[in-house]
Amino acid sequence: MAEPATDFTLDSAALLAAEEHEVPIVGRSPTYLAWRRLRRNYVALFSLLVFVLIVVCCALAPVYAHHVAHTGPNEIHATEHVRVGGKDRQVVGGGSYFDPKTNQFVVRGVSVLGPTWWHANGRFVLGADALGRDVAVRLLYGGLNSLKIGIGSALICSFLAIVLALLAGYFRGWVDWIISRFFDLIWAFPVLLLAIAIGSALQINGFHHFGINIKPGSIWIPLLVISYVLIPYIGRPLRGQILSLREKEFIEAAVGQGASPLRIMFSDLLPNVASTAVVFFTLIIANNILTEAGLSYLGAGVQPPNPSWGNLILSGQQQIHTAPWLAIIPGIAVVLTVLSMNIFGDGLRDALDPRAKVRVEH
Amino acid sequence: MTGKRRWTWLLGVLAMAAGFSMLVAAYGAAGTKHKTAATKPIGTLRAVIDTIDYLDPQQAYTGQSWWAMWNVYETLLTYKHVDGPAGYKLVPGLAQSLPTVSRNGKVYKFKLRKGLKYSNGKPVKATDFKWAIKRGFLAQGQGVGFYTDIAGAEAYSKHPTPGGNIPGIIVNNKKRTIAIKLVSPRGDFLTILALLFAAPVPGNTGPEIQNGSIPGTGPYAFSNYDPNRSFTMVRNKYFKPNRFIPRGTPNRVEVSLIGDADAATQKVTSGQADYSNGAIPPDRIADAKSKGHLVLRDTANTYYFWMNIREAPFNKLKVRQAVNMAIDRKAMQTLVWGGLGKSTQNVLPPTYPSYKKLSLYPRNVTKAKQLINQAGANGATVKVWTRNVSDAVTAATYYTNVLNSIGLNASLTILPRATYYTTIGNVNTHAQTGWARWLEDYPHPLDWFDVLLNGERITDQDNNNFAWYTNKKTNKEIDQLKKQPLLTPAVNAKWATVEKQIMQQAPWAPWSNRVFPEFFTKQIGCIHIQRLYGIDLARLCRK
Repeated sequence: MAEPATDFTLDSAALLAAEEHEVPIVGRSPTYLAWRRLRRNYVALFSLLVFVLIVVCCALAPVYAHHVAHTGPNEIHATEHVRVGGKDRQVVGGGSYFDPKTNQFVVRGVSVLGPTWWHANGRFVLGADALGRDVAVRLLYGGLNSLKIGIGSALICSFLAIVLALLAGYFRGWVDWIISRFFDLIWAFPVLLLAIAIGSALQINGFHHFGINIKPGSIWIPLLVISYVLIPYIGRPLRGQILSLREKEFIEAAVGQGASPLRIMFSDLLPNVASTAVVFFTLIIANNILTEAGLSYLGAGVQPPNPSWGNLILSGQQQIHTAPWLAIIPGIAVVLTVLSMNIFGDGLRDALDPRAKVRVEH
Repeated sequence: MTGKRRWTWLLGVLAMAAGFSMLVAAYGAAGTKHKTAATKPIGTLRAVIDTIDYLDPQQAYTGQSWWAMWNVYETLLTYKHVDGPAGYKLVPGLAQSLPTVSRNGKVYKFKLRKGLKYSNGKPVKATDFKWAIKRGFLAQGQGVGFYTDIAGAEAYSKHPTPGGNIPGIIVNNKKRTIAIKLVSPRGDFLTILALLFAAPVPGNTGPEIQNGSIPGTGPYAFSNYDPNRSFTMVRNKYFKPNRFIPRGTPNRVEVSLIGDADAATQKVTSGQADYSNGAIPPDRIADAKSKGHLVLRDTANTYYFWMNIREAPFNKLKVRQAVNMAIDRKAMQTLVWGGLGKSTQNVLPPTYPSYKKLSLYPRNVTKAKQLINQAGANGATVKVWTRNVSDAVTAATYYTNVLNSIGLNASLTILPRATYYTTIGNVNTHAQTGWARWLEDYPHPLDWFDVLLNGERITDQDNNNFAWYTNKKTNKEIDQLKKQPLLTPAVNAKWATVEKQIMQQAPWAPWSNRVFPEFFTKQIGCIHIQRLYGIDLARLCRK
């Protein structure tokens, strides 16, 4: 004789457990569980705090420039004098000169104003560069540009990658073939090399097609170039996940119920890859900031005189022997930002899906 | 023997003894001098230069390439190995003597020296000169434009073939004679023949670019060339020195190509190289001076910002004048090269006899702003072009800032070094303004005004007149002065007038005549500078 069918459900299990422990058990959402795991990861939270601090500091660049340093990021003060701790100092002084009496040059070194550490009424706190521009102001504006590009390109890149992955994974067949070959095409080139090639080409005359007008020197150029070259690095793994999800019963059920492709893609498939996409997004921000720094260092990113951390390192490198802080400070800023975002991204991945193996690799 | 005779005899003997001892002393001194130079040979010179374009005489067109090639490829006429203005003096090179020139200034006759050989041991023939000129046209060499005044060269340039003929060059191998006929007289033709583009190469040399593999006739030969990294020069065992072309002191010259000025300076301060011609970063000049031997090379150059008179807002004279007034030329010398330059408002450098100092635009930012307002150019969008070399970027960054300070809306565009000049020299780029420099090819005002500012020589591609400047009166005057065979004081005065006329129209904002720091280790001495070609390898020694 067969055993009678039991009425035991998850609700009854919860009731039994509540009776046993004398506390009711509440159902927890995956988001809550992820947050609970994340808030116990102090290193990840500290990294997030560092990143937020950096973002806030850079966002306040115009305020600092206007109210504290009283100069813009590209304003040249080479011939001006500043009072530092009561002493009169020229921003860029010294240098060789031609002596008409001897008809020869008198060779002397150039001296550039070093950090004033708030002894000059907020001016040149981190010193001046070779053209007499305020390094602190340029560092903050440089950070603002780097973060705009890093976060902006991560948003665009993630959006495009998700849409392409959904299309490829849902429709499969020739749609998948075309999108996959597109991914392969970009994947075939080294990221930095492709970005340099496209960035350099666009820097000459900008982009003026399809009603889009981007001028040379615009930060939209590195932003869009980075977005474009990194699409497959998010798109390919997402496509793989979606292809796998496409075979699941709940999707077949949705198809059977006559749900439209758009609804299935965005209501059924997308939520199931959302955690992966969010983790990729955080990791790609760090990656994009690094790519931007590399591009600007090589002259294909943010164009001087506009600052970015990459081109600040490049210009500071020329004075590495006499004013090492010019290259070191933006270098530290890049390291801190990228490290904080990477550690936070790892923490978020562990929180959202501890078994996931999400990495941005290229 | 009488007493008087005895005294006369004694005085004679004493005089002879004194004369003999002076002779011995003089010989001894000369011997010592000779011995000093001989006992301290330079052996191998390890040089660092920033870049070269080619090591092919019909292609190379940079000062760095010419510095090396001047000692490898001799031309019919060359320049003296001396310091200062005398270095501009033309002397016979491969030619036996200076040429005879016909009365109408159209025919030049040369005779080659006897026994000339290439570094591969093959004899130099008169036909090799003709082949060099033809090879230039066949390979579309960078200097062919200089030789189109030779009769028949213009036609040959349109359909160049190896078997084709330039009838204006008549050669005779047996007699070793070369006669060159020009379409019209040209005052700078001898200096053009002294350019390396006209260096004879063996008749079997193909027209394709051949870096460092073409045999030469100078004291050295290239032994290897590693693109963008290094090349070596070794002695040419077939070279015979003469009174104008010395043997050269280093036995071997190992040249590294290092673009980074800081790294190049470091090579010398650390003793890994004997010499660097790379620009020393301004903040390291004092340090370099204490650690090595800093020599300033004063060669003819002008650094300038060009303003395209075809493109708004620079199609208005007031805007161009405003720019000239707003630039702080003195400050720029310090900012760009640590003060190693002289402010200028001239096209010509001060080393030219035609030079007459111009001060048309005293610095006045307020007036500059007024001029911009009067021209209705306030807020006009301007794209400043420059190349990706640190000093050019610094200068153009400053310039962009100046343009913004007087009311224009300027932004900077930086192009790779290799594509910069071809891009701004293309009519379709519509480049408005930007950075440029000119280092002389040969010491004649035509090399400046005809090449850079003669409106008749504007081309749609590879144009050197970046300001697209043209003025009927000036063009006509340049053409007339071109025919003058000699640079007499009267001719020089006319060139000065042309220069003033041009600068009154302000197509350029010239700002510097730079001096180039040449950096040696303290062990290298006898440093001499040939005004056109730079550090003279022929006279270096080790201390």
